[in-house]
Amino acid sequence: MSDAEPPDDEFEPVQVFGDETEMDLRPGSDDCYKCSTCDTNCPVAAVDDDFPGPKFQGPEQWRLKRKEDRDIDDSVMKCSNCMRCDGACPSNVPLSQMHNTARGEYVDEQMDTLSREYLRNRMLSNYRFFASLGSKVPRLANFVAGLGVTSWLGEEVLGISSEREMPEFATRTFREWWEERGGAGVSNPDKRIAYFHGCYSNYNTPEVGKAMVRVFEHFGYEVMVPKQRCSGTPMFANGMLDDARRAAETNVEEFVAAIGDGADVVASCTSCSMSLRQEYPELFDIHGIEDLSAHTYEAVEYLRIHEDLDGALDDADAAFPDLAYHAPCHARNQGLEGQAVEVADRIDGVEATDVGDSCSGISGTYGWKEENYDTSMKIGEEMFEHMEDADAETGMTECPTCAMQMEHGTGYDIRHTLELLEAAIVEE
Amino acid sequence: MTHTTEVLVIGGGSTGTGIARDLAMRGVEVALVEQGNLTHGTTGRMHGLLHSGGRYAVSDQASAEECMEENYVLRDIASHCVEETGGLFVQRPEDSDEYFREKLEGCRECDIPAEELTAEEAREVEPYLAKDVERAIRVPDGAIDPFRLCVANAVSAENHGARIETHAEVIDLLGDEDRVTGVKVRHESVPQSDAERGSSRGDRTDGGPSRREHRKVGSTEELRADYVVNATGAWAGRIGDMAGVDIEVRPSKGVMTVMNCRQVDTVVNRCRPKGDADIVVPHETTAILGTTDVEVDDPEDYPEKQWEVDLMIDTLKELVPILDEARTIRSFWGVRPLYEPPEVGSDDPTDITRDYFLLDHEERDDLDGMTSIVGGKFTTYRMMAEEISDHVCDQLGVSAECRTADVPLPGSEDANVLDEGMDRFGLRSPIARRSANRLGSRTEDVLSSVDPNPVVCDCEAVTRAEVQDAIEQSGTDLNAVRIRTRASMGNCQGGFCCHRMASELHPEYDEPTVHEALDELYQERWKGERHALWGEQLSQAMLNYALHATTMNRDADPAATGSVDYAAFDDGSDAPAGADGERGVATDGGDRGD
Repeated sequence: MSDAEPPDDEFEPVQVFGDETEMDLRPGSDDCYKCSTCDTNCPVAAVDDDFPGPKFQGPEQWRLKRKEDRDIDDSVMKCSNCMRCDGACPSNVPLSQMHNTARGEYVDEQMDTLSREYLRNRMLSNYRFFASLGSKVPRLANFVAGLGVTSWLGEEVLGISSEREMPEFATRTFREWWEERGGAGVSNPDKRIAYFHGCYSNYNTPEVGKAMVRVFEHFGYEVMVPKQRCSGTPMFANGMLDDARRAAETNVEEFVAAIGDGADVVASCTSCSMSLRQEYPELFDIHGIEDLSAHTYEAVEYLRIHEDLDGALDDADAAFPDLAYHAPCHARNQGLEGQAVEVADRIDGVEATDVGDSCSGISGTYGWKEENYDTSMKIGEEMFEHMEDADAETGMTECPTCAMQMEHGTGYDIRHTLELLEAAIVEE
Repeated sequence: MTHTTEVLVIGGGSTGTGIARDLAMRGVEVALVEQGNLTHGTTGRMHGLLHSGGRYAVSDQASAEECMEENYVLRDIASHCVEETGGLFVQRPEDSDEYFREKLEGCRECDIPAEELTAEEAREVEPYLAKDVERAIRVPDGAIDPFRLCVANAVSAENHGARIETHAEVIDLLGDEDRVTGVKVRHESVPQSDAERGSSRGDRTDGGPSRREHRKVGSTEELRADYVVNATGAWAGRIGDMAGVDIEVRPSKGVMTVMNCRQVDTVVNRCRPKGDADIVVPHETTAILGTTDVEVDDPEDYPEKQWEVDLMIDTLKELVPILDEARTIRSFWGVRPLYEPPEVGSDDPTDITRDYFLLDHEERDDLDGMTSIVGGKFTTYRMMAEEISDHVCDQLGVSAECRTADVPLPGSEDANVLDEGMDRFGLRSPIARRSANRLGSRTEDVLSSVDPNPVVCDCEAVTRAEVQDAIEQSGTDLNAVRIRTRASMGNCQGGFCCHRMASELHPEYDEPTVHEALDELYQERWKGERHALWGEQLSQAMLNYALHATTMNRDADPAATGSVDYAAFDDGSDAPAGADGERGVATDGGDRGD
């Protein structure tokens, strides 16, 4: 498999029409009885009257399609792909699959590949490519990114909101740390996990990846770190399904091989685990993809299933600030919205407050776009208010872009649940 | 009250409206009467197949050739009613090779373009075909909307001076035993001429056919004519009885089951000799499964049985397995107007020819002034209309030529308008596309007539402009609005839009009229939906019920049932005047001691 061959890995702003089989999702509309629960749970529809909502985007639009119809309504680009509609639907309509597929068709068939919007979306969804460049010269990249002129240019030329601050690159990536460290610190053929670190904890927050490794090694796991590419989440959200498929081919091959070696797949980012679990099998037909889906877990979820995490935390205390915790939408979709606060409750010395079930509003690359910035901040308002009201000056979440939004809206420092676990469990 | 015309046509189905259009275009003065809506009888209860003739290519080659001929004509003159889907005759392992070969040869003999496909090619065309199909024949079958076609014929007839009167049931024939000189009808609604006087609508005179004030029973009317055409299909025997002649129509019922969405985009036929449940027709947003063939005594009163619906799904899932799990939104039954000369004496209705017969009662029964047309099928309606119009013109001494094969129907004058410039109507693209498919060359006129133009029916993407346009044509009859627009024909079966459609009647029509119109439409929707009450459609029906009960009190509205004793309420006349001077209104709800 040509997973990381240079041509595949390069950012190449020319649309290559993929050969993925066209999907007919019209039968999914059979499950919809129009109750509109999805619409009332959609954070975008709540603040943007022009957005027709998931019921239209999904079952209605698909049912109105004929096979040869090619025009998807452009409002699909206003969907932030938070996937709350999936969880809201009482009737199992495959809403996010419908949205992702329609968005892919829209971008393939209707978007001008020379347009600013297309180039911008292609760049945002291929964040990993730029991050890999930036992290080669992190200090320079951070300096350039921090310049006023850069963000001015970003907005004027590309339509990336100048309100946002570019995330800083770490001076040493997680994978560099992992190699210098000499790889796994524990060898255990009976307890193996393959770590899907994703892009952000590699290039931007390696402390999350390190915490993950140390916590799992504390429980006696042999941690594997297979070669990997972007999980695809930002590509789905931008309709770049060809890019996402190429990345998925690498990820499926590498991680299915790890599963063959007895590992389960564990991610520290809830959108990465969501993607491998749900979107992969919904959107692609790659050998082994169902197997990967069935073996993928979020990190804390995995420990709560397989270890006596509560027991391990019984006497634990942590020198950690009190926390305002926000559950990412994609964590919510996996049924994981309650676990972080439950874990924190067992740790002495730390108070974590759930800031409620609203969406942070950023939804990955969505809130980075100039045209979505105001919508994004409006959606985030409820979360910001609840964070201010909580008895904490530090935030916690598992999603990198939710963390950006939380920091942007409140100025708080934002931590990851694995960092809290590391502080509570791992001996220095 | 008497109306005099040259030709009176009885029956507002495809044949009747086709005859009215044909004669009107030849300059003949025509009136048409129909007991219900346009399409009320058999036309509105078919599966929407535009035959290529492939179905008859083995058993009835004359019909097959006619179908192919008319298929081409309708693509041309009725492009906004036709979807060129193509069709497949699919052979399963248990179906005979011999018949497949006969079918293929038969198509070629009848000049029906037919192409043999391997199983793989067939499944490329239709991915949901069963994995074990053997092979298929591709033919130019199509899908056609009988409602729009019929309405377009009626509108065209009116544009050429015809009078179209719906909800006007023939209760007697005028004349004597030697000659028919007209009919007597009972209006179930106020006839157009009266309605013009009685309605608040200022523009009634230029409207389309079948406009009425809802259920206001009007008078009877005599319509005198030089010649009468009985185009009542399965009901022809009833008119014959009034005239004292025998018309041996043998009505045969068939069930059709409507799926929620399209499992196929091509007409899929089973390639085997006649049988039940052997066709799936993609129709607008849905797919329609058909059908059965069972002779009935009365075209209006026959049993509708669950086993017939089950048979559709259980048999057709052999061709398209996903049907087994798929959602059904309703089922309906239609009655074929089959006819055969009494001397043939077929026992099985499937043996009766699909050909049509022109029965001149002067030749046949010594009764002057009337001809009946029976048998035939929807695809060849225009040809039938042409033949009987020729006959009528002979009788009247009119020499004008038929032009219906060449002049497009209203809405199909310019097929190219569909694709361009939909953005300017500010509609979401699937809504604009569906609206344009339905409205054809009228798209611009209709969609630009109302602003703002919200969607009224979400399932079928019907906007206020289209609903208002239909109301302009048909008045308070919401079923007539439905057949023109497809509003309320989607997966919620009107649960979310019947009341919105009814609201569009206000303020031009008053509240009781609107309420009755809503009840009638909702009742009609329920009639078909009750045959689909399992799985998702049962959930849908319960949700509809709950919504209508809790938000509009439609489960047992005491105001509607008349059980409220209004006199028992205090009208406030004894209450002291409030501070704001409004007598009898306790703004605090009355709990402050008054």
